[in-house]
Amino acid sequence: MGHLAGGGVSTATQARASVVTRASRDAIPVVLAYAPFGLALGATLAATHIPPLIAWSSSPLVFGGAAQLLAVQLLDTGASVAVVVLGALIVNARMLLYGAGLAPYTAAWPSRWRWLGAYLLIDPVYALAVNRFQGPDSGTARDRLRYYLAVGLILWTAWMALTAAGMLLGGVLPTSLPLDRIAPLTFLLLLLPMLTSRPAYAAAATGGFVAVVASGLPLELGLLAGAAAGIAVGGYLAGRRG
Amino acid sequence: MAELLTLAVIGAGTYAMRAVFLVTARHKLPAPVGRLLPYVGPAVLAAIALPAFVAPRDSVSFAGTVPALLAAVVTWMAWRCAKNNLPIALFGGLAVWWLASWALCAA
Repeated sequence: MGHLAGGGVSTATQARASVVTRASRDAIPVVLAYAPFGLALGATLAATHIPPLIAWSSSPLVFGGAAQLLAVQLLDTGASVAVVVLGALIVNARMLLYGAGLAPYTAAWPSRWRWLGAYLLIDPVYALAVNRFQGPDSGTARDRLRYYLAVGLILWTAWMALTAAGMLLGGVLPTSLPLDRIAPLTFLLLLLPMLTSRPAYAAAATGGFVAVVASGLPLELGLLAGAAAGIAVGGYLAGRRG
Repeated sequence: MAELLTLAVIGAGTYAMRAVFLVTARHKLPAPVGRLLPYVGPAVLAAIALPAFVAPRDSVSFAGTVPALLAAVVTWMAWRCAKNNLPIALFGGLAVWWLASWALCAA
């Protein structure tokens, strides 16, 4: 029995290790892809008049590059607190959609882990988690929780380190580095695994098209308009297909 | 100190938006809402990425838009050919973006 029990423990340990290994294998390429963006953001934070430690604190407090950039730049220009808060929250409003999108997969998690999981929810964590959870080998609820936490903690740790490094290296990075080109390619690569059906293609095409047309709107409202249109078209087509 | 407080308020608001559906996940979502959820990711990520390819640096121009769209297509193809290898696709797309921008500037 002892041998069997030991084997059981060993199997469980192997399963845990396998989920964490898979999460690391998925997350590390995303960290590499995000590295230039994180460094560039850190350098931008360092170039403002806000005290460095406070500017960097946007990483653990907000944990979202676009909103951090907007908030710190607006604070630097002396914008009112209401404008800064409203602008950053509108930029981050897609997190509501991400939370709703993940909810069906997280219902079985203990509530304390859902509270922690919410803090770790950012674009690549959502994309990696949904792609994994929708796949045939998503495993049990516990496997999904381990995968989500491992991916989230790897990306959180990397983001803290990258933005700090960017602040320290701010004056050293050559201005000719095409850092602004990394982010859209990274988002494209997170999108591609989600294109698994015609409604998904239609949602992406509509979302992208409307966002382009509405890109002149302030506070990233074009993004929200594109997202709403894309989701509606995807849902409509899926409903028609039955 | 005012800056830190502002960032803390943004952090709290963002956290609330992340948590509201995740933490109440045990309450089953209405079926029409559930049917929309698979399209959140494709719609949002495309809405983030596509404007950056069509109008890099917030403006549409031949020298800016063509290399960006070319890079997007090459990234997509590289991702498929390299069996979903993210770094290869990313750096392949970046290389094409840089080369096409350089070629158009030199022309």
